[in-house]
Amino acid sequence: MSEKPAYTKPLPDLRPEDATFWEALKEHRFILPCDDAGKPFWYPRKYAPGTLSETSWTDASGNGSVYTYSTHFIGPSKAYKGDPPHIVALIDLDEGPRMMTILVKDEEGYPSLDAEDVTIGMKVRIVFDDVTDDVTMPRFTPAA
Amino acid sequence: MAEGTPDVKEARRMLGKGICIAGVGETEQGIISDRGSFELLAEVTRTTLDDAGLALKDVDGIVTAFSFVESTLMHSTTLADYMGMTPGYFASVAVGGATAPLMAVQAAMAIDAGLAEVVLCVRGDNTRSGISSSGMIAMAREMSHGAYEAPFGLTTIGGYGLLAQRYMYEHNVPQEALAAVVATQSEHGALKWNAMLRNVVTIEDVLNDRWIATPFHVMDCSLVTDGAAAFIVTTEARAKNMRKKPVYITGVGEGFSHQYISQAESVASVRDGLGRAGRRAMEVAGITPQDLDVAEIYDSFSFTPLIALEGFGICGVGEAGDWVLEGNAKLGGTLPMNTHGGLIRQAHLGAMHHIIEAVLQLRGEADDSARTEYNGGNHQVPDAKLAITNGSGGILAATSALVLSSEPPSAA
Repeated sequence: MSEKPAYTKPLPDLRPEDATFWEALKEHRFILPCDDAGKPFWYPRKYAPGTLSETSWTDASGNGSVYTYSTHFIGPSKAYKGDPPHIVALIDLDEGPRMMTILVKDEEGYPSLDAEDVTIGMKVRIVFDDVTDDVTMPRFTPAA
Repeated sequence: MAEGTPDVKEARRMLGKGICIAGVGETEQGIISDRGSFELLAEVTRTTLDDAGLALKDVDGIVTAFSFVESTLMHSTTLADYMGMTPGYFASVAVGGATAPLMAVQAAMAIDAGLAEVVLCVRGDNTRSGISSSGMIAMAREMSHGAYEAPFGLTTIGGYGLLAQRYMYEHNVPQEALAAVVATQSEHGALKWNAMLRNVVTIEDVLNDRWIATPFHVMDCSLVTDGAAAFIVTTEARAKNMRKKPVYITGVGEGFSHQYISQAESVASVRDGLGRAGRRAMEVAGITPQDLDVAEIYDSFSFTPLIALEGFGICGVGEAGDWVLEGNAKLGGTLPMNTHGGLIRQAHLGAMHHIIEAVLQLRGEADDSARTEYNGGNHQVPDAKLAITNGSGGILAATSALVLSSEPPSAA
């Protein structure tokens, strides 16, 4: 297998408060932050929004459905120049919270899904894209 | 006028002092590579003072916004220094596209508190010519969460696109409805002397345009502009001795629902959040949507005015697209909207131009036919007395709205 090309897209800002989340992704585990009533929320942070109770973590299924999407023909920086369109989507996770991702094919290198294959409401599941040695990004692909 | 809750009564008490806009000004808009950011602000201040019949020394308060080019954390006082002023009140407002109406509210509150009597509100920048490529990337990323949105390649355009596509899905709104906003405003922009885009386009033209991020083509998006605009807020008592007829601020309102688009609960929650701004402004003014003569509604994208029209109660939920397709928003329609072309045809200085156009409409000065060197036309709504205007920052995150009137507020 050939060496993976260097990843040039933006990487997440990493902060100590949500290191647990990114560490889990590196191990290809998907977890969600919860408040003190056990209700999962998004996005990960040290204290739960609304109550400011200390965050705990729960295993999540990685299953959900497309709430909405936008096919981006132009990316936010030069790193996207020459790329085919990417599809940014908001996913309603089965556990309740809604998170952002991109929709991909479950193939080597996780290329973008084709826009004509996306519909609002379609079922999707998580895939783990090891974009660098340190960072794994959550992507979603059609469930069926 | 309905009684109103204590906060509404308090807003009416403040505006009952006859808080008004007594002068407006705007520079040329577009690509102005030979003028710097502060230079543009000083230029438009000269024009605006002249409109009001004032000298710089008559101004005792200054409210500014921010610059994408000149980095300063003290924008208002940096400009005061540049122009040689020692104001008794100064504030820099930075809430994205909601900034301009909030500048008017800041000025009104400063006057009410006795901090100033004549407040210059000025915003402008050489954003288009002066911004660096790293500044452009920072601007594109500004509205995205650094860990949970930006790494997926979200753009501001696409962030609006996410909400717009869900809105279109829920209410069965066709792409033509968005294109009708662009086509309508292109007819208006063709008449405005300093609009960047002066050609009239059709729904068909928009549908055939190049995609940026679905559901937006190039023409569905707002412009990037070099230019400046300003207005002067004062009291009726002071305005009596000024050159122009005052336009009164009779309603103010704000609304917020989320910051990051992935945190927006639903289309309905966004509509209600931003809608509160307009609904409250009308409640304070003691008017209903049927009373309005003109609407200058923030239009960062072709979709943006649709959800605002619904949130403000001007259109029913899911009905704004049909309303625009039927021609209601055109000059001569039931409620002409963005009679200057708006952010997608005239220029983008946040909502500054929306306020200025509303003031010109209520003064009866929105006929640019005399500006033959700019090939201006008549975009005046006959006998316009009441206007609503708003601005939204972020991805429909924070909204501020004003009701403006040619008549002083009636006693509460």
